[in-house]
Amino acid sequence: MQILKNKTNIDFISKRKPALFLSTLLNLAIIVGIAAFGFNFGVDFAGGTVVEVKFDHPITAEEVRERADKGGLPDVSVQNIGAAEENTFLLRMGGVTQLNEESGAKGKAALEALGGVRNVYSDLPNGIIRFRAAQPMDSDAVTKAVESAGIGVQEVRDLGEAQGGTGYDYQVVASGMADRVFAALNAGLEKPDFEQRRVDYVGPQVGKQLRNRGIMALLYSMVAILIYVAFRFDFKFGPGALVAMVHDVIMVAGYYLVSRREFNLTAIAALLTVVGYSVNDTIVIYDRIREDMAKFQGKPFAEVINIAINDTLGRTILTSGTTALSLIGLLIFGVGEIFDFAMAMLVGIVVGVYSTIYIASPLTIWLDERAAAKEARQRASGNVDHQQPNAA
Amino acid sequence: MDRGWWWKFGLIVAVTLGSIWFLIPTYYSLVVLDRDQRNNLAVLEERMPSWAPPAKYRLNLGLDLQGGIHMVMRVDTKTALQKRTERRAQQIVNYINDKKLGEVTADTDPEKLEVTLTAKDPATMDAIQKEVLATFTDFKEVSRSGASLVLVQDESQANVFRTEAVDQAMLVIRRRIDKWGVAEVDVRKLGADSIQISLPGRSNAEQAKELVGTTAQLEFRMVDDTNPQFFAQLLQATPPPAGSEITLTTEGGFPQLQAPTREAIIEYTKDKVPENRVVLTECIANPVKKNECTSYRSYLLDKNVPLTGESLASADANISQLNEPEVNISFDPAGAREFERLTEQGVGRRMAIVLDENVQTAPNINEKISGGSARITMGRMGGRTFEEWLGEAQTLALVLKAGALPAPVTVGEIRQVGASLGDELIRKGGMAAVLGLGLVILFMAIYYKASGLIADLALLLNGLLILAGLAFFNATLTLPGIAGFVLTLGVAVDANVLINERIREELGHGKTARAAVDQGYDRAFWTIFDSHVTALISAFILFFTGTGPVRGFATTLIIGLLASLFTSITVTRVIMTYFVHGRNAKVVSV
Repeated sequence: MQILKNKTNIDFISKRKPALFLSTLLNLAIIVGIAAFGFNFGVDFAGGTVVEVKFDHPITAEEVRERADKGGLPDVSVQNIGAAEENTFLLRMGGVTQLNEESGAKGKAALEALGGVRNVYSDLPNGIIRFRAAQPMDSDAVTKAVESAGIGVQEVRDLGEAQGGTGYDYQVVASGMADRVFAALNAGLEKPDFEQRRVDYVGPQVGKQLRNRGIMALLYSMVAILIYVAFRFDFKFGPGALVAMVHDVIMVAGYYLVSRREFNLTAIAALLTVVGYSVNDTIVIYDRIREDMAKFQGKPFAEVINIAINDTLGRTILTSGTTALSLIGLLIFGVGEIFDFAMAMLVGIVVGVYSTIYIASPLTIWLDERAAAKEARQRASGNVDHQQPNAA
Repeated sequence: MDRGWWWKFGLIVAVTLGSIWFLIPTYYSLVVLDRDQRNNLAVLEERMPSWAPPAKYRLNLGLDLQGGIHMVMRVDTKTALQKRTERRAQQIVNYINDKKLGEVTADTDPEKLEVTLTAKDPATMDAIQKEVLATFTDFKEVSRSGASLVLVQDESQANVFRTEAVDQAMLVIRRRIDKWGVAEVDVRKLGADSIQISLPGRSNAEQAKELVGTTAQLEFRMVDDTNPQFFAQLLQATPPPAGSEITLTTEGGFPQLQAPTREAIIEYTKDKVPENRVVLTECIANPVKKNECTSYRSYLLDKNVPLTGESLASADANISQLNEPEVNISFDPAGAREFERLTEQGVGRRMAIVLDENVQTAPNINEKISGGSARITMGRMGGRTFEEWLGEAQTLALVLKAGALPAPVTVGEIRQVGASLGDELIRKGGMAAVLGLGLVILFMAIYYKASGLIADLALLLNGLLILAGLAFFNATLTLPGIAGFVLTLGVAVDANVLINERIREELGHGKTARAAVDQGYDRAFWTIFDSHVTALISAFILFFTGTGPVRGFATTLIIGLLASLFTSITVTRVIMTYFVHGRNAKVVSV
């Protein structure tokens, strides 16, 4: 069996200018779009809390949102994941504990109203309110006071009599956002009609760190690949491979931008995989160009590239086809980020093939032409390098 | 068939059999054992045949696939360092007062970690400067103008302190989790200031956060030895419930209760101790795995806590003149007075050092200790090497510091996956991989016929090698790992496509089967090599820069790419060579 019965001789290269123009336009649009709208950053990068719940009866996202709203959580975003009959939802909100500056101030006021309480301060990152009281306190009363300020209390810790100074030290540990979500969904029910499937908290600090590391990883691997290509092939192949990589990464980023799917660590993994795949494809064709350059000496470079692309066309279709085939399972069974990963890969495969033909190769031609033109200019001005008279 | 071929053939057979052998522990842990026994290495070792590889070489399931909690705690070394600066500043002032060098006030800058000393009488500053810089060697001079001297913590000392703060926090977290009784917990450093904790099978993220996110509490409590036979009498009066495995043990002449779990002792003694007394336990560490407790011993302690870690100024492990490891501790002035009173009243009694309600050690008080510095000598314990003994002292010093100079820890991230979701994901992930692989195999067989079947064989071997490789490196299979698995198969297919297309091309040029196969492989080799190496480069960078799921993905990719190089270049070629050279086939089915 054969996909391409006869040897093809499609003139890919002649259409390189309009293609390059279109790609540049598309890439610029995506970059502008990212600058203007930004990604839908997931909890990995933005920080916050995400919980996944699965209900044991049919329910719509709208109903879930209403329940959260009634339970006192108006800012929760609700998203249906997987098939509708699975009744599975992702609930997302900012912050990891119920203690924030606003509620902390309220909690402080409520505690002070109990009398004899001093040195109240909130330890926001840890979700703890610390205070010292003149007399031993009843933990139930403390819980009540703090809860009246709208902060869920997980525990009141009695640290005993203070060592330096007089008084008794206490800590109130606020419960996390996830608890509050479950409480809100549960409000008015005898027993929960849903299952807690997943809880993710990411602190804002960590989110920033994860994002920076992800972007660094992307940059490092691009540079490393560029160096490898420049050494293994010729310098003139390097920039083409790099620009093709950048193109593919931008296009896949465009998928996340346009689809508004969550941009998270898995998305970075997808971008990196696309880099790997794109360069794999570019290298296979570069290899053939190099081989054909030796075979068809004297033919114009652009023509050699066209032959090489046509020679490897069968392989290109087959490989991208089978790789896409292997993604089908992930597209069918993958939910959430795995589905997005597979989709991003699919986009990556398509643009990877395109960029090899219309970006990597034309850039190589352009660099080659420039080098030739420079040499011609030098020769015309009589400034020929006489030590290498055969250089051409 | 030349000798080289036989060598390669033997290698392939050996690799295949070796991979299957290496997957035995994985097979037993995931298929044969019950799900709650899945992570229990001891049970696994017992159930496997004796010729199987050690149980630790098994493919772990990531927390996303089996359910559990993954968390990253960040150690706030900056706050810890600020606190240390303040404490040291106070010590400098005390030192100057004690030596009667003059009268100074100290002011600290929390941002720059600087201490500014201001002398009442500028004339005394010269002597003060000399003495202070000679004694407090962890500080350097920044500037001096008249009566004020600015000091800053030496950067290398500060770095040592930062590392120590993370170690302390890690130790505290380990002990707390141990108190919780979670088996198979994994606590490790992540970067310079973070600690990563994995709790497979746990589902309460709130509880976990609370457990590891609090500041260490160090206490000094007197051991109640007024009735040394307390526990012996208790056991006689009310026998423990059946199955609690509480026994009586005697350590240093005092009978104590011993049980495999902490809860058993606490539960049993509840409401059975006199008022103003409390029972706490000590962990008896597993001699092999230091972070595990084999059993717990009880202590009867005074309920009142006369001294806490806040009064402790420093703690260091040293080797004494008698060549014995010891821990030197010193208190701040208020603490020193309290310590003197305690030791005066308690000569002959024991003082327990308690971290987070766990008794760490309970040394004897030999004499009244004044001046605020004490020595805890590590009693000669039978059957220990000097290193173990010294290690004990270092751990105790670390425990004391963790309570004395606690670095606050904050929750960086928590990821919790319910067990049912884990099961669903592994089922779906497995189906995705099987479907992807199945489609590719079918396609290759149809498209390339016999050569396609050979490629399929290589693909299957590739899958086997990835699993065995993951098991060998004791890696963890995560959901992104399954995605990496699928992607690797795609790259492996590409290699086979490249080879087969080349062979077709050569055949098209009218070459014989033998020449076409040989040239096809030779020509495709460098292309395959280049494409694999570039993919490997990005996989390695992903591995070294990524964390968690990204790393799992990279691990699978690296192993997969290496396996693919082997299967697509060596394995398929050996089989092809067998047909065209060995069997002298005239046609290649491609």
